[in-house]
Amino acid sequence: MTARKPWVLWLLVGFSLITLSLPTLVIVGASFTAGKIIAFPPDGLSLKWYAAIAEASDLRAAFLRSLYVATVCTLVAIPLGTLAGVALAKYRLRYEKTIQLYLLLPFTIPLIGSGIGLMLVFGSAGVLGQLWPIGIAVCAINLPFMIWAVTGSVNALDPDLENAAANCGAPPVQTFFAVTLPAVMPGVITGSLLMFILALNEFLVSLLLVDARIMTLPVQIYNSIRSIITPDLAAISVVFVVAAAFAIAALDRLVGLDIFLKSK
Amino acid sequence: MRTYRTAYPILWRVFDALEAAVAFLWPARFAPALPYLLVLPAVLLTGLLVIGLVEIADTSLRVLDRSTFRLSETWTLENYGKALTQPLFRNISLRSLLGAVIVTAATLILAFPYAYLMVRTSSSALRKLLLIALFLPFFIGQVVRAYGWLIILGNEGLVNQLLGLVGVGPFRLIYNYPAVLFGLVQYMLPFAVLMLAPALTAIPEEVERAAESLGADRLRTLRHVVLPMARPGLIGAGIVVFTLTLTDFAMPAILGGGSNDFIANAIYDQFFRTSDAGLGATLTMLLVVLGSAVVGIIFAAVGTGTLGLTRRTAR
Repeated sequence: MTARKPWVLWLLVGFSLITLSLPTLVIVGASFTAGKIIAFPPDGLSLKWYAAIAEASDLRAAFLRSLYVATVCTLVAIPLGTLAGVALAKYRLRYEKTIQLYLLLPFTIPLIGSGIGLMLVFGSAGVLGQLWPIGIAVCAINLPFMIWAVTGSVNALDPDLENAAANCGAPPVQTFFAVTLPAVMPGVITGSLLMFILALNEFLVSLLLVDARIMTLPVQIYNSIRSIITPDLAAISVVFVVAAAFAIAALDRLVGLDIFLKSK
Repeated sequence: MRTYRTAYPILWRVFDALEAAVAFLWPARFAPALPYLLVLPAVLLTGLLVIGLVEIADTSLRVLDRSTFRLSETWTLENYGKALTQPLFRNISLRSLLGAVIVTAATLILAFPYAYLMVRTSSSALRKLLLIALFLPFFIGQVVRAYGWLIILGNEGLVNQLLGLVGVGPFRLIYNYPAVLFGLVQYMLPFAVLMLAPALTAIPEEVERAAESLGADRLRTLRHVVLPMARPGLIGAGIVVFTLTLTDFAMPAILGGGSNDFIANAIYDQFFRTSDAGLGATLTMLLVVLGSAVVGIIFAAVGTGTLGLTRRTAR
């Protein structure tokens, strides 16, 4: 009886590991195939699909548009999320519970609802069909991630440090830049990385806000896999795999992945 | 006569100017309002979503005139009647709700051992492997992952080719309900594990040791000690998985092949295929109400759990 659980535990975890990793591995593998259609066993190795996507200007343009959207999103999220996170974690606000629940709205409103709503709002504002509103939209739906990351670090900040700075004669702005900001930096970095990578691969809200001229990469891939599956899509998908790997490596180096295991 | 260079760095001057500007714009007597000023930009950005909901509510009260393809000027509840009575929408809602229940249960069953092993293992290499395996798909995005499953499970995919080598098949493994649910479980697993892990970290290992030293085997320790203590995390993870599944678009669209639509797909079709924005907005409103009702009931019953952005009270 005692021995039973570890066995079941490992079996379930093994199954999860395979399910989580298999699509990624298969996409990376398929992008190096020499054959025309995706085949097993592979028809040999080649880089020709990478050469093909280097030629394909539509895929490259879509990728640049996704980068632009992710950059707008992150640049908006950093000040907004940092200030809100500091305020929520440091000060005792009236109606604090209400403000918190309100700021969690992006997670409680279904994504399709947020997307359709923003489509109507941007439509009546006459900015639909441009790229920057997509960055704003993606920032709005993911902002709680940024705030969450920042509040985590503010909670780890000893308020006496700020008092000490003030006591030594530092005025408020200097205290903020010299003490508070460096202390919450790990949270700001974690949050910005999350915002950037989630914006890079954001799909549904982009799908609702783009038209044929300004498709972002996930939307472009979605439209293509509905017709025919070719390995050049696998090659362009590897961009996301590489971006994700970079983000993970950066998170691990800067704050350590273990931060996600800590209890609040 | 010698002039001494004043030892006053330029950065100090910048900060002096900044302090003066801040003191002018936000004098000390406004200090109590400072936190509200700080949250204001985030509140305004989130306000976009609220305005969006208001616009959806407004649109949902207007019916489409089939002759002019314009929405009516006056408000009516006609769309709601249509959405609640047509069997098509009832079927889609039931399919989404059933899917959300199954996916939530399956995801929690898989996520719990994963999070438990990740938190409790003494090997930091294994912990890192588990974390990376979790973050990689989380950061890759739903479309690319679904694309991976198409390569694996498609009619000419890897599984069918392997089966073909031993002379079985091919089987139709995608474009059906189980494929959608499977894709959703795989999509939700990182969310669930990341919500569960902090809750499990908070359970001291000594408590489990104590239960074991008192003669409880691992299964009873799990049932009577670990699971009850992990309840907030399980509830938080359950809510997130349930609502994300209920409202998902990409997996039913890509792995369902058009015949296994969820509510979000029906909404999309109303806006972009049938061009009936009124009915589409009505379905969106009903989905928002359904989703918020579920979350609201659970929040009210057990609190926000690990979802809260709360200030840590115990220092």
